[in-house]
Amino acid sequence: MEKTINLAKKSSDQVELYSLEQTQNTIRFEDKKLKDVQSLMLSGTCIRLLKDHKLGFAYTRSLDNREELVQHALESLRGGVAVKFDFPQTTNVPTLNTYDRAITQTTNTAIAEECRRISSFLEQKTKGQVNLHAGTTISRAKIVNTAGTDLSTSASQYSITIMLLYPGSATGIHKTFVFKAFQNVDDSDLTMLVDLYNQGDKESAASGGRMKVLFMPEAMYALIWRLQSATSGESLYHKQSPLVNRLGERVFNEKLTIADDPLDDAKPGARAFDDEGVACKKSVIIDKGVLKNYYYDLDYAAKLNVTPSGHGFKTSRWPGDTLSVKPSPALQYITFEKGEESFRRLIHEMDRGIIICGALGAHSGNIPNGDFSIGLSPGLYVENGEIAGRIKDSMIAGNIYEVMKRIIGIEDTIHPAYTGYYPAVLFEDINVATES
Amino acid sequence: MFEKMKSILMRVKADYADIRHEIKKETRIAFNGKELAEIGSNTTDGYVLRVLNRGGCSSVAFTSATDHEKAIRAAMENAQLMANFTAQPVVFAKTDIIKDKYCPKLREDPRNITIDEKLQLTKKYNSLILKNKFIATTNINYVELIREKHFVSTEGSEIKEELITTRVSGLITSRDGTLLQNVRVAAGGSNGFAILRNREDEFENKTRIAADLLKAEPIKGGRYNAIVNQSLGGVFTHEAFGHFSEADIIENNRSMRQKMQIGAQLGNEIVNITDDPTIPNQLGHYQYDDEGVVAQKTPLLKNGVLVGRLHSRRTAAAFDEPINGHSVAEDYRYAPIIRMGTIFIEPGRETFEELLETLGNGFYIIDAKGGQTSGENFTFGAQYGYVVNKGKIEKMVRDINISGNLYSTLRNIQAIGNDLKLSQVGGCGKGQTNIRSCYGTPHLLISNLVIGGA
Repeated sequence: MEKTINLAKKSSDQVELYSLEQTQNTIRFEDKKLKDVQSLMLSGTCIRLLKDHKLGFAYTRSLDNREELVQHALESLRGGVAVKFDFPQTTNVPTLNTYDRAITQTTNTAIAEECRRISSFLEQKTKGQVNLHAGTTISRAKIVNTAGTDLSTSASQYSITIMLLYPGSATGIHKTFVFKAFQNVDDSDLTMLVDLYNQGDKESAASGGRMKVLFMPEAMYALIWRLQSATSGESLYHKQSPLVNRLGERVFNEKLTIADDPLDDAKPGARAFDDEGVACKKSVIIDKGVLKNYYYDLDYAAKLNVTPSGHGFKTSRWPGDTLSVKPSPALQYITFEKGEESFRRLIHEMDRGIIICGALGAHSGNIPNGDFSIGLSPGLYVENGEIAGRIKDSMIAGNIYEVMKRIIGIEDTIHPAYTGYYPAVLFEDINVATES
Repeated sequence: MFEKMKSILMRVKADYADIRHEIKKETRIAFNGKELAEIGSNTTDGYVLRVLNRGGCSSVAFTSATDHEKAIRAAMENAQLMANFTAQPVVFAKTDIIKDKYCPKLREDPRNITIDEKLQLTKKYNSLILKNKFIATTNINYVELIREKHFVSTEGSEIKEELITTRVSGLITSRDGTLLQNVRVAAGGSNGFAILRNREDEFENKTRIAADLLKAEPIKGGRYNAIVNQSLGGVFTHEAFGHFSEADIIENNRSMRQKMQIGAQLGNEIVNITDDPTIPNQLGHYQYDDEGVVAQKTPLLKNGVLVGRLHSRRTAAAFDEPINGHSVAEDYRYAPIIRMGTIFIEPGRETFEELLETLGNGFYIIDAKGGQTSGENFTFGAQYGYVVNKGKIEKMVRDINISGNLYSTLRNIQAIGNDLKLSQVGGCGKGQTNIRSCYGTPHLLISNLVIGGA
């Protein structure tokens, strides 16, 4: 890395190098069959140059030709992307427990055996088809810049997603478990999954209208994407946020507290610094319904003349190549504060309503405005506090700034799910369109 | 390159192996509002090794050539694991041995255009949008992706193919007080840089739509008869039907496999659906897939009856159906999976005006805004629409999402227009992102659509 930095320094004021090494194994089990085993061994380097408040960026998967990498960055620099930030000098960050050496001892055979065990366990208790995605990831990221930052982090993760499919579709009940190293999923967790599935076994012809809706953790991302958009420094700067200049205002129900906590190393993937070398910290975004903080990377913090919050990550909503993108503001460690009601209690509070176990099409609709309109994949119909079955071909629609004011209750447990750690949340008066 | 790849393959002691090396050259220019946010070009590369041994098949992607021994070991171990767990050994359908180099004909090779000219063109379109006083911001990107693929197999195939994709696309955001609306805009293709020139009308039209949306009323949720335009019809065809034509999606789903049997009457008899990557000058065009199989036109639905399916070599053998060259990878990080190339509903006879008259009262719904399927259920967004009253297009509506069931929607296609149009940009995210996923239909009249409004 030093040679590349020295080469780049000749033609620029400041240099940053970011490198990432990743090994990944993925295993897919479908309907009792091992469908696929794949491995990935990727490495890569990105460079950012600053000169006269202009930014140059380039990346490569191989440092065999560092001259070419620097050349691409210099050509990018000449393009004239204007910025106001400097690379930070970050020397003191907490040491986090992010890597479990046991991950190196986990074989694909052991993961496949665990998938087979889970598959057999579930098939004894339900008629539904069982699909599983499992795998390990080991990553090492390093960031060095000419301001004196030299930081690295290693992380390990084992994850498994269990899906129980309803007949006639690929929709069903699903849940993801994540750990720092391989471990078996508890039978009690599997039993809960089966219980929920079996209660939705029958198809129910519910009529639509406005009713109570329980968002499961697995569907919460449909709402959170809207909040992520509205609180990003990027959206504020480009006037794309309904939450601009509203810090301190109550925007959601007072039961709701949402934080971003990259330092919580009880969870896999914790980070002490972001992908720009800025120290990470816990940020409360929503405190008892009140908007408390926005989040920034170096670029948008400088443009808005505020302090960077350590949220500059190389990220992509879709399965893109994150190495190839520049850091941008990203909330990667969202955690809801847990509530006081058990999952069962929340269902009992629904005289008539829908449990949303998965969202279809959450990426469509007017995300900046907070609007959502999602297919239920699936939706379970609740009548008189009991799950009566699942409904087909249904949608719910609303706007998060109205819907998230109408919270009845929040589950007393948080669960890992896509985009964060969430409890189930019960809302009232949401518009549901059904087939009937 | 072929010799280097063959030397790696020679070390693999398996029943079959192939290796793909890709050099990926990417140029990106991005404007956020009036500011230039990104500009630059990059070149990078990597390998994907696949082995088939004793009935087990597996793959390893690696970016450092020095890792090839490690990659071979991992691929062999994974294949052994697959063989140990699989009751039905994997077999690859037979394919022709091909030695060829293919580069599609281009109207202006983007490699011969300077990055400054690309910047000026992108800036021109972005500036056109920003002239409108209702536009709050833009996110307009020029993306050029050049994949130089080399494929070698132990059966003797040696193929080099170049895939060149260019586009100027992005999001236009309008604002009135706290109300924000947005519209996607795109021009692009895989037949050269010329398709990006002289596209002012497209950018001006979408700017006007974004501004008009500020005054549009949210659609009221319910069930309606509607005409959908070519883009939205294309997303339905791709998302709801196309993915279930992909054998790897349904192979282990008992009920979907039962429903998607060749010969099953799935839709109204006026519906004919085909996937054809061989159509030249279209976004989805390629000559060989990433297993070295020649791409073929594949009829899927004829008069509403399922007549074909998209296959890899593995699934073609497992289903005992013909191979058709539809196994494609995003880039050097992935093994190929089954993909649509250019999927479309074949044109009918009616003009758009005749469709409006047949519709009478309902909605005219325009342009896709993303879509997703889960089994036979689908949901996709529309960018905007209009109320249709007694066959006349009236006021604009917004916040439109459509949800439904594949089979009932195929049966509910009441009439098909004569105006087939194919998409110019793509972005299917089936585990990997396929930016060359091409789709389209003529205007379609569909009855009983579930529309979720705000």
